[in-house]
Amino acid sequence: MKRYDAIVIGGGHNGLVTAAYLARAKQSVLVLERRPRVGGAAVTEEIFPGFKFSMFSYVVSLLRPEIIRDLDLPRHGLHILPLESTVTPMENGDYLAAWGDHDETRRELYRHSPRDAEAYDEYGRLMHFMAQAVKPILGMVPPDPTSFAPGDLVGLLKLGKHFRDLGGERLHALVKLMTMSSADFLDEWFETDVLKATKSASGIIGTFLGPRSPGTAYVLLHHYMGELDGVFRAWGFAKGGTGAVSESIASAARGFGAEIRCDAGVSKVIVGNGRATGVVLENGDEIPARTVVSSLDPRRTFLQLLEPDHLPSDFVSDIRRFKFRGSSGKVNLALDSLPSFTCMPGVGRQHRGAFSISPSLDYVERAYDDAKYGEFSRRPYMDIVFPSMIDPGMAPPGKHVMSIFVQYAPYALNGGWTDAKREAFGDAVVNTVESFAPGFKSLILHRQVITPLDIERITGLSEGNIFAGELALHQLFFLRPAAGWAKFATPVRGFYQCGSGTHPGGGIMGASGRLAAMRILKDGT
Amino acid sequence: MSRNGYDAIVIGAGANGLVTAHYLARAGKRVLVVEQHESPDPSLDIGWVPAVIVRDLGLAGAGLRIQEPDPWITAPLEAGGTLELSRDIERSAEAIRRISPADAAKWPEFCQRLRRLAGVLERLYLAPPPDIESNDARELARIVGLGLYVRRLGKQAVIDLARILPMSIAELLDDWFENDALKGALGALGIWHLKQGPRSGGTAFNFLHHHAGSRGGVFRPARSNITQALSSIPGVELRRGERAAVLAKNGRASGVVLEKSGEAILVPLVVSSADPRATLQPIAFELDPEFARAVDNIKARGVVARGTLALESVPGYATLCIAPSLDYLERAYDDAKYGRDSAAPYVEVQRTDGRLELHVQYVAPGTHEDLTHKIARALNAQPNQVQVQAAEESLYHGELTLDQILFMRPVPGWSRYRTPIEGLYLCGSGTHPGGGIPGAAGRNAAREIL
Repeated sequence: MKRYDAIVIGGGHNGLVTAAYLARAKQSVLVLERRPRVGGAAVTEEIFPGFKFSMFSYVVSLLRPEIIRDLDLPRHGLHILPLESTVTPMENGDYLAAWGDHDETRRELYRHSPRDAEAYDEYGRLMHFMAQAVKPILGMVPPDPTSFAPGDLVGLLKLGKHFRDLGGERLHALVKLMTMSSADFLDEWFETDVLKATKSASGIIGTFLGPRSPGTAYVLLHHYMGELDGVFRAWGFAKGGTGAVSESIASAARGFGAEIRCDAGVSKVIVGNGRATGVVLENGDEIPARTVVSSLDPRRTFLQLLEPDHLPSDFVSDIRRFKFRGSSGKVNLALDSLPSFTCMPGVGRQHRGAFSISPSLDYVERAYDDAKYGEFSRRPYMDIVFPSMIDPGMAPPGKHVMSIFVQYAPYALNGGWTDAKREAFGDAVVNTVESFAPGFKSLILHRQVITPLDIERITGLSEGNIFAGELALHQLFFLRPAAGWAKFATPVRGFYQCGSGTHPGGGIMGASGRLAAMRILKDGT
Repeated sequence: MSRNGYDAIVIGAGANGLVTAHYLARAGKRVLVVEQHESPDPSLDIGWVPAVIVRDLGLAGAGLRIQEPDPWITAPLEAGGTLELSRDIERSAEAIRRISPADAAKWPEFCQRLRRLAGVLERLYLAPPPDIESNDARELARIVGLGLYVRRLGKQAVIDLARILPMSIAELLDDWFENDALKGALGALGIWHLKQGPRSGGTAFNFLHHHAGSRGGVFRPARSNITQALSSIPGVELRRGERAAVLAKNGRASGVVLEKSGEAILVPLVVSSADPRATLQPIAFELDPEFARAVDNIKARGVVARGTLALESVPGYATLCIAPSLDYLERAYDDAKYGRDSAAPYVEVQRTDGRLELHVQYVAPGTHEDLTHKIARALNAQPNQVQVQAAEESLYHGELTLDQILFMRPVPGWSRYRTPIEGLYLCGSGTHPGGGIPGAAGRNAAREIL
């Protein structure tokens, strides 16, 4: 049997990125994916005949430009279509809109608050700068402050210098972003509640925190780091859905000679003499390899693929303590036609952008309160898009698909998730939309409701956490996934981790996959 | 020396103001302290009194008493009886064993780990905050020294420090313990004087902050009569019942004006232990707009009401804590988030000098009609036994959240007790290291001034 240089477990976007970079360096690489298709949580599926959905992850922005370049992804079919506007319907029938055109956005803001319209540009400049300042860290292997190795000391000093070079004012802004709640941070800038609510919403994505919880300002920044074709903070759709992103990386990997095998779940990593030597498939087949890389989340990577006695007990307890707490759900709808929102009646350009159901800070905070005590939000925060408006190929002619990202739906629901609870959750979602767009419910042809438990069952992401582990301050950088093991290596020689559960974490970013590949190539195992 | 004979005026005769005044006086300055209240408020003297201040100012000879009750907390249990935690770690473990053997087994290590981290804070607190922007070799050496000190405590301490500080107290306690009553009684310290709930990030730091100065296994700050002791030692002149405002012109402080009499006292050095906002906002016209905005942005939301409880007989406890679980505290916070007083507040009763003092959280500033009923309900007492004062803005002059500590306190980049107004300094709880450590900010400020 062929012995590969590297086996990558899991064909999500990070696993594929690692595979592509390794194959590009002339290694023989095999990717093993449990599901019938690659992509993990970045998949496009025709759930209802003729209607295609980016089933889980649905927008693209964070994908690292150097990956797009190195792997020449546009040649492999990656085509990003811009998502230009965000409209937030308010409870009083008014709205707040941010358009692709900057001057128009400013005029719209001015209508709500001249002061905020003034502050908006300065805020944008600061966030842009902060994102630029933090970006190099995304491409950096985190130094270990507990180590006395020269490499770590140099890394720490470099990091210290990087921060000091920011200069006082910006350094202070960074400290604030790292520690504050998005509500408090935005309070320092703006007075319009609906503006703060809509902005703060990107600070709660994928977390089990509310907009008033410290730590959410960092997630706000994390979402500001997107860059598409050099255009800062642009969000877009991949033509063909997010599955097309995964397919393009897979195609690039194949182009470099990697093999990708679907319907090939891995049950164990084979370890001999403290060294990974291959994997066992769910069907019992064994495949040997010099290096094994897992793109699964830390819990599954270390507690499922390995036996506990392969790992130091401190490390095992650190991984057990690593928090997932999935909080997001998704409702995918096939529509007969587009809904009309009370705040902006009719069908128009607003449907080419997002609708954010975040009418006030209290609204979003209350949605969190429900989840905190184990219930799904009765009136949830939602991010709604109509992919078929941007890529008509997603739905049959004249029909539409609607993607609703929902928070909060706690993984640990009181009494557990059942089919009835899932439908009740779906009802809460469509009823809330209906309150902003009367008549909407009658347009629904098909409905798919996805709970965190479903995300876990289908993609394998523990507790359905979309970032493969919460983006909490104490789970970032040299603590992701555990102190001492944040550099993609693991306590088992020849076994590496490359998923979003490692630095720098989630979103369709690919940075973890790329850094892991670099590390493996450097180790030359 | 100015014509009136003073070299410096200190605004406020709380522990920090008096400590600054005495350190300045010991350096030969003639100091006047102006205080708006007629008499000191003993219920403010809660927190670690650093030994170095006691020694430097000879407070032991001035009648300083530090109360360290044992057991330090008594928490009623739902099933009847109480949980009593003692100064002795073993005895506390015994008490915990009756409600959870698993938690009792972890207690000693928990106490030891947190004690070690509190030691790091203590070291940080008795000096001005590290200036990470500085290029001064001595300052850089100090920062490196601090780093080495932490590293020498061991790998685990470094990890704990990085992990625990940004955490919520609920996450920290859930990592260790299972029993609700234990977690509630401990978790309450994490929300002290903070408009945050136990599930909010940074509350683990607040917990540690208030553990500083206590021995391992004691998670309530000591109580003392430090203000009274400081008032009784000679060396500074104290004028009570006068509210002073800073006089500033052309970027320079020229003295203070007493609001009641309109009398202006001109001195070259003014040190304010009052809230930084109260000190600086009236002279905002003298300030750079960016600095003025940073002052306006200081978060100091009041959440605590203080008062007294009248019981017919002296109770058996020293400190009674009504915080039966972390969820209880979180729900109390939920009310505060939406601008209401907690329907079921966190209440603590502290017995001191024959009085029973109340700490009630979360209560918005102002007076509230039904508050006494809510407190009485939480305590199983009669409303007429409860007396509450009007709740104030944050007693700490700035919440102890991670974005408002060290070099970010009181405003980013101005953590060295100076202000952009020449001759005007700050020395109160609004500066590093913040509230709950009477005198520490005052001493640091005096040393910076000198």
